[in-house]
Amino acid sequence: MAPRSDSQTLATGSAMSDTSVESSIDPIFHILRIIPFSFLRPPRLRLKLPSFTLPSPMTVFALILLTYFLVVSGFVYDVIVEPPGIGSTQDPITGSIRPVVFMSGRVNGQYIIEGLSSGFMFVLGGIGIIMLDLALDKNRAKSVKASYATAGISSIVIAYVMSMLFIRIKIPGYLH
Amino acid sequence: MGGKQPEPANVSSKSESMATNKASPDLLNSLSFKSLKLKTKQQELLIRVSILGLVYVLAFIARLFSVLRYESMIHEFDPYFNYRTTLFLTEKGFYEFWNWFDSESWYPLGRIIGGTLYPGLMVTAALIYWTLRFLRFFVHIREVCVLTAPFFASNTTVVAYFFGKEIWDTGAGLVAAALIAICPGYISRSVAGSYDNEAVAIFALLLTFYLFVKAVNTGSLAWALGSAFGYFYMVSAWGGYVFIINLVPLYVLVLLITGRYSMRLYVAYNCMYILGMLLAMQIRFVGFQHVQSGEHMGAMGVFLLMQVFYFLDWVKYQLNDTKLFQTFLRITVTSAILVGGIALGVGTASGYISPWTGRFYSLLDPTYAKDHIPIIASVSEHQPTAWSSFMFDYHILLFLFPAGLYFCFKRLSDATIFIVMYGLTSLYFAGVMVRLILVATPAVCLISAIAVSATVKNLTSLLRTKQKVPQTGSMKGAGSSKASSKVLLDQSQPFQKNGAIALLLGVFYLLSRYAIHCTWVTSEAYSSPSIVLAARGAHGNRIIFDDYREAYYWLRQNTPTDAKVMSWWDYGYQITAMGNRTVIVDNNTWNNTHIATVGRAMSSYEDEAYDIMRSLDVNYVLVVFGGVTGYSSDDINKFLWMVRIGGGVFPVIKEPDYLVNGEFRVDKGASPKMLNCLMYKLCYYRFGELVTEYGKPSGYDRARGVEIGNKDIKLEHLEEAYTTSNWIVRIYRVKPPTNRL
Repeated sequence: MAPRSDSQTLATGSAMSDTSVESSIDPIFHILRIIPFSFLRPPRLRLKLPSFTLPSPMTVFALILLTYFLVVSGFVYDVIVEPPGIGSTQDPITGSIRPVVFMSGRVNGQYIIEGLSSGFMFVLGGIGIIMLDLALDKNRAKSVKASYATAGISSIVIAYVMSMLFIRIKIPGYLH
Repeated sequence: MGGKQPEPANVSSKSESMATNKASPDLLNSLSFKSLKLKTKQQELLIRVSILGLVYVLAFIARLFSVLRYESMIHEFDPYFNYRTTLFLTEKGFYEFWNWFDSESWYPLGRIIGGTLYPGLMVTAALIYWTLRFLRFFVHIREVCVLTAPFFASNTTVVAYFFGKEIWDTGAGLVAAALIAICPGYISRSVAGSYDNEAVAIFALLLTFYLFVKAVNTGSLAWALGSAFGYFYMVSAWGGYVFIINLVPLYVLVLLITGRYSMRLYVAYNCMYILGMLLAMQIRFVGFQHVQSGEHMGAMGVFLLMQVFYFLDWVKYQLNDTKLFQTFLRITVTSAILVGGIALGVGTASGYISPWTGRFYSLLDPTYAKDHIPIIASVSEHQPTAWSSFMFDYHILLFLFPAGLYFCFKRLSDATIFIVMYGLTSLYFAGVMVRLILVATPAVCLISAIAVSATVKNLTSLLRTKQKVPQTGSMKGAGSSKASSKVLLDQSQPFQKNGAIALLLGVFYLLSRYAIHCTWVTSEAYSSPSIVLAARGAHGNRIIFDDYREAYYWLRQNTPTDAKVMSWWDYGYQITAMGNRTVIVDNNTWNNTHIATVGRAMSSYEDEAYDIMRSLDVNYVLVVFGGVTGYSSDDINKFLWMVRIGGGVFPVIKEPDYLVNGEFRVDKGASPKMLNCLMYKLCYYRFGELVTEYGKPSGYDRARGVEIGNKDIKLEHLEEAYTTSNWIVRIYRVKPPTNRL
């Protein structure tokens, strides 16, 4: 880190470099001043160190929401156990192969597509509640608030109903 | 609203009492109307305390299903070991317990129990037991052990309330306490009878986190000291303390990166790390791991980083010169990172700092255990989590969690950053291993409580704006736009109010569905003792299979006291605790070669197995067989794991020998090695004569759904000693070698 910025100070201007030479306590800078830059002349470059700015909280939140979606869909289960995307069963009478979306009978088993769709429902429910909060924010136009509210409520209702439907298909004895 | 109403009543009652009795005794005055009416603050306190009290009781009684249905007994496998050690502790005292060498397990190696267990749970139960005895309640230690978990679950709800209050406000605290009281993710490991480390550990975890966040918020040394002691309790209770010692430094690092370094953070982390580390080294099982193990190095690194930060802050204050300081900053940071890196490299290369153990490394790289360590991969709790497990254990909270995260991000503070980090890291680990859903539960409940509390607050504030608007409308009409906006609000008031009421009813409906779900899940899925099986008979009546305890008591009463029992490691703890006999391997699984020897014996032909059994001095062999009852967690279904683990150490055991076309079969088409190995013979001895199901041939295995291949089994070196009434547990005696003629 120290040498790069020192070369920058040397490149930016000799006037400034005089004052920095006098007041610098950096030993590496002084060593570099003698070897090799006493006989080498560094070229004039327009370099800028990349500055590190922290992202805004809402950007981080968007990334986190994506990670949450992956984890809750059982992504780690998919990577390790490698289930098929969708299951299949053979119709006993006709002999044709019918697809089975939900791996039934076990609580801790899934196919990839059922995991992703359930994870999507959960995130949809969460976003619905967020939109409801945005709708109650005072600084917006009324029409925007109303549309946020309806979108939020419908998201929550759809997400809840679909999740209940999914779990009922998956576990036949649910709530009995 | 509450404060306004009583006042007119007070005034009238006061005038009444003054008019009627001027020379009245003090008793009448104290009984007057006025003293019974509480101020708003007191009303609020009463509501809060009563809610917390109800939640406390609810958390306890929700976990009592199995005690009511079966009896007050210890469940599963691991709790039996904890029960046996607690019994030893109460009988012999702490010093004997701390220095205990047990020769009754892992014959002939023995086990240093004092140095290889986490004593927190046992000491806690023993303290409760001694307290009750001091108060002259002479309860049996088993009752104390069974009810320890629900008791600590209730305490966790109280801690959750305080934590929620610290992060957000009292409303969120109350909701968090209520959510965590019935959350199935927590109930699954803390039901009455589940006397396992997690029962106490989750309480200790939440307590440590709460005290640490309180210390960071206040900067007080006393709270930091409290969090160090909380950490000590956690280290003594569970191996999952590694989560704390990595999450807290990660949190400190995030605070440093986001520019929230402060003196409070410095005091809190330093005190907790140093004192916590010193206290943790008092536990023999942990020992010097805090300075030697790779998993604990993160904490040390952050500790040194904090010192660098403090040093730089001090230098900056002294120098008063920005340019000089900039150069000094660059030098110091570079050299600090260099020195730290070199120290870490030297430590790891020389072997002083041990690398991450397999258990924790498989959390970072989930595919590791499957390829390298079959024992870890075989435990069903260590499998990754599917979406339905999440739904089962969390229900509504899965919707509320992202919403709660959003609210936390809207109002970022030191405390909310902590809960967000705790929630995200624990949820990731819960995705990797089903068992860790338990660790994520407090975070999920807290964040969901924030969402519920914030949403309900928004909605009720909508309901309450009705009172304020007419006042401001009537006071001044300054500006036509203002008046018109007020008029618009007036028009939409009833609609908003109705909408808010409808939404509140919706929230109430969702929470009530959550409560119904939690109660159903607790009752159906998580209240089974595992040692007693139950099934529905043909007429809907309940049939109880108590075969395990029957077999263990037979062992206890009908075998010589120095008999040694060989079984698969699942049953070791139960055999030692209830059967009181020496076992070869048990659930501690600390010696893979010993387990592999047993696995090899189970998968070899009878003659080779007899040699192994003679070398281990085995007198009895115990197997679990589910063919008659249809019980699917029996030894034949676990057999492939025995082969894999045995084959991992002894290459003479090869898994493909037992499979036919990659398929595991026990019927006529099974491989010859499978049909003649010891496990097969012991499970199916005399089974060929038994008719198990109407309409099926004899020897029909109900668990696998096939007719067995080898019905005519003859045992040469073993003889049948006992088979339980439903054929679930079968015990065989190893015959001594025949005399030479």
